[in-house]
Amino acid sequence: MTTAQAPSGSKEVPAGNWLGWATSTDHKRIGLLTVATSLVLLLVMGVFALIMRGQLAQPELDLVLPHTYSQLFTLHGSGMIYLVITPFALGMGVYLVPLQIGAPAIAAPRTTLLGYWLYVCGAVLVLVSLAAANGSASSGWFSYPPLADSDFSPGVGPDLWIVGVVLSTTGMILMGWTVLWTALRKRTQGMTMLRMPVFTWSMVASCLMVIGSFPSLLAAMALLAAGRADPSVFHANAWNIGYQHLFWFYGHPVVYVMFFPYLGAVAEVLAVFSGRAFFGYKGTVLSLLVFAALSMSVWAHHMFATGQVANDYYSLTSISLLVPAGVEYFAMIGTVLGGRLVFRTPMLFALAFLPQFLIGGLTGIMVGTPVLDYHLTDSYFVVAHLHYVLFAGSAFGLFAAVYFWFPKATGVELGERLGRLHFVLLVIGTNLTFLPMFALGYEGMPRRVVSYAPFDGFSLLNLLASCGAAVLAAGMVVFVVNVLWTLRKRSLGRHVPAPPDPWGAGTLEWATSSPPPATNFTPEYPVPPVRGHAPLLTLREGQGEPDDRATLSGSRG
Amino acid sequence: MTTRQFFGTVFALESALAAFVFAVVAMLVCLAVVRRRAGARRRPSRRLEHTRPEAFYVAVLVAVAAFLVVYTARQNHDEHRAAAHGDPVEVTVTAFQWCWRFDYPQARKPLAVRADCRAGRRPTLVVPTGRPIRFKMASPDVIHSLWVPDLRYKRDIFPHHVNTVTLTVDREGRWIGRCGEFCGDRHHTMDFWLRAVSPAAYDKWLAQHAGAPAGGTPA
Ligand code: HEM
Ligand SMILES: [Cu+2]
Ligand SMILES: [Cu+2]
Repeated sequence: MTTAQAPSGSKEVPAGNWLGWATSTDHKRIGLLTVATSLVLLLVMGVFALIMRGQLAQPELDLVLPHTYSQLFTLHGSGMIYLVITPFALGMGVYLVPLQIGAPAIAAPRTTLLGYWLYVCGAVLVLVSLAAANGSASSGWFSYPPLADSDFSPGVGPDLWIVGVVLSTTGMILMGWTVLWTALRKRTQGMTMLRMPVFTWSMVASCLMVIGSFPSLLAAMALLAAGRADPSVFHANAWNIGYQHLFWFYGHPVVYVMFFPYLGAVAEVLAVFSGRAFFGYKGTVLSLLVFAALSMSVWAHHMFATGQVANDYYSLTSISLLVPAGVEYFAMIGTVLGGRLVFRTPMLFALAFLPQFLIGGLTGIMVGTPVLDYHLTDSYFVVAHLHYVLFAGSAFGLFAAVYFWFPKATGVELGERLGRLHFVLLVIGTNLTFLPMFALGYEGMPRRVVSYAPFDGFSLLNLLASCGAAVLAAGMVVFVVNVLWTLRKRSLGRHVPAPPDPWGAGTLEWATSSPPPATNFTPEYPVPPVRGHAPLLTLREGQGEPDDRATLSGSRG
Repeated sequence: MTTRQFFGTVFALESALAAFVFAVVAMLVCLAVVRRRAGARRRPSRRLEHTRPEAFYVAVLVAVAAFLVVYTARQNHDEHRAAAHGDPVEVTVTAFQWCWRFDYPQARKPLAVRADCRAGRRPTLVVPTGRPIRFKMASPDVIHSLWVPDLRYKRDIFPHHVNTVTLTVDREGRWIGRCGEFCGDRHHTMDFWLRAVSPAAYDKWLAQHAGAPAGGTPA
């Protein structure tokens, strides 16, 4: 293949060449590869979830064996966290942060690329582990010892799973470093820290947590690996409970890593489709940092029922989180209350994020309260809570981001009608699936059970939840069709090319072409002057008379 | 008060608060959607900050958080103190893959309740009402958790470590108990019955079954 030398010295490879894609150090390509890979894995993990919901639709079904079921929830849970929502968040950061701060490239692009490939290798190992003789890991995504040691979970499957988790987590740490470094060191002239867009700030806070807490997962996995080599490691309670501390020192902050970038995306979408700059910017930035700092001190609220932690302290730090969270809601609601709202698909997802995620947040206060958690932990109440956080929260933010930035990344907008259908199905499906689970947990259904008895009284609610899962799956099919159909139209040249700024947005990535050129900004698409956290908006508002402004925002589709 | 009552009080309070917050946010979002839609011909505000109400609002949040922390911590302490009040009955709980064994050290002769949790053979843990029951719990293999949903309480059971909890049951009846921590492929079958009887009936039961042949499953 012919390769031309770009002036910067980085290799320019023609688009469409797979080798070029796989080895490019262009942050936009690495970012797209990361989000595309994680979207594919989202579908895989979604299929695992559907099988589980099928198994639980009725009491005493025999769709899958108990040991298969254990692997399904382990891979679904660990896959969603290690291989889907976290990588997607960092992939968005890799793609967007340099553009949003007016940088021509990401800092240390080869490290970012290495991070991506470690992630891919990790994902492959995790999936391959299913083919091992005794199956894959089967002790849940947190894999507590001694259940996860080689006495109780023999076979190479769990070993492969551990290596896979370590590789992908190492990849995430590398990506976190380069994104953070980019935001700190590669800002364009005029882009002070306090003019960085909210999304970039959310990435900065996330990357700080990635760097601060992800190594703890590596340590936990190393401890587990030691216990698989020699199970007597876990013949001391100190290491059993010690593993849980190491694990949750990672396991709690990762929840915010899986949430901030999506909150940042939602904040951008809300501002743009409200036709204004984000309201309450400073409070939000501060609250993100406070949140990140506090997040490192709440881990043991996952361990109230062990009877071996200081309940009062962890309850204090956990409940304090409602303060920064409340500040963020204040800003987001303030933004829409003073806006002029345009209801395109990204905006629908962003608006739905607000009440949907809130259900996860409010029930989070409940499980952060020891008296309640003694009953609710490890029950379906927690399953409902975590899916409201991760699915109704993060995944809605994820889709808002996909519909919003798709034209920037590909040069063509996703279909609006299919987008709306996707949205409606997802709202119905999410609530039908996860709302009944609160009641199930309250009534005493434990999590991670492959079956239940008719007299338990769980049958009807489980049936509802499984029907909801079918609606969700239908919504996801609509989404996949939309993406494939749009890309197909583009490859046939039958699309309407997206302009640089299809939504009338305010941040720098919309100042360059869609998709952006290799160096992000060129003499044709220069970095505009930066005088606030929504430079394009300032530019438009500064140029026209008030009436022109109304026309400008009204011209948005 | 029993664990169930502590749970009920705090749960009702936090649910009411949560419902209120949810209603306010949902209302504000609806308000924005209706009043602020593009068709309503309003200009977007250019305001970037509104520091005063925000500061006031943060103060309210801090107050709510402080109240919740202090209030729930007190409930937590009261819960544990109330349970320990009185002359306790002791039960040694052994949770294993995948069933339970309950020993009564206060019986005159060795008394153990056990079963294998297969085909509906669940062991029945018999306790008296109105007296604190002190469970000394350990596991010979992996981590399990003693959970009686009706008592609204669970506590993990570790290998190489004895966890102790004290609970009180205030009325007679029979409830399902479960394993609350995933412990392997038959975790879902690891259930038992908790039967609470009057103190007199309990003493009678204890006397009747003490010294029963090993492997017996008195109920
Ligand atoms: C972004 C999407 C999702 C994320 C991040 C996610 C995450 C998780 C996590 C972390 C667990 C816990 C696994 C464990 O405790 O080992 C879990 C369990 C589960 N999820 Fe999801 N999930 C997602 C979507 C879904 C969907 C759409 C469904 C339903 C169709 C679903 C159904 C389940 C089920 C049935 C379990 C097993 C619960 C248990 O037995 O503990 N998940 N999920
Ligand atoms: Cu168990
Ligand atoms: Cu169990």
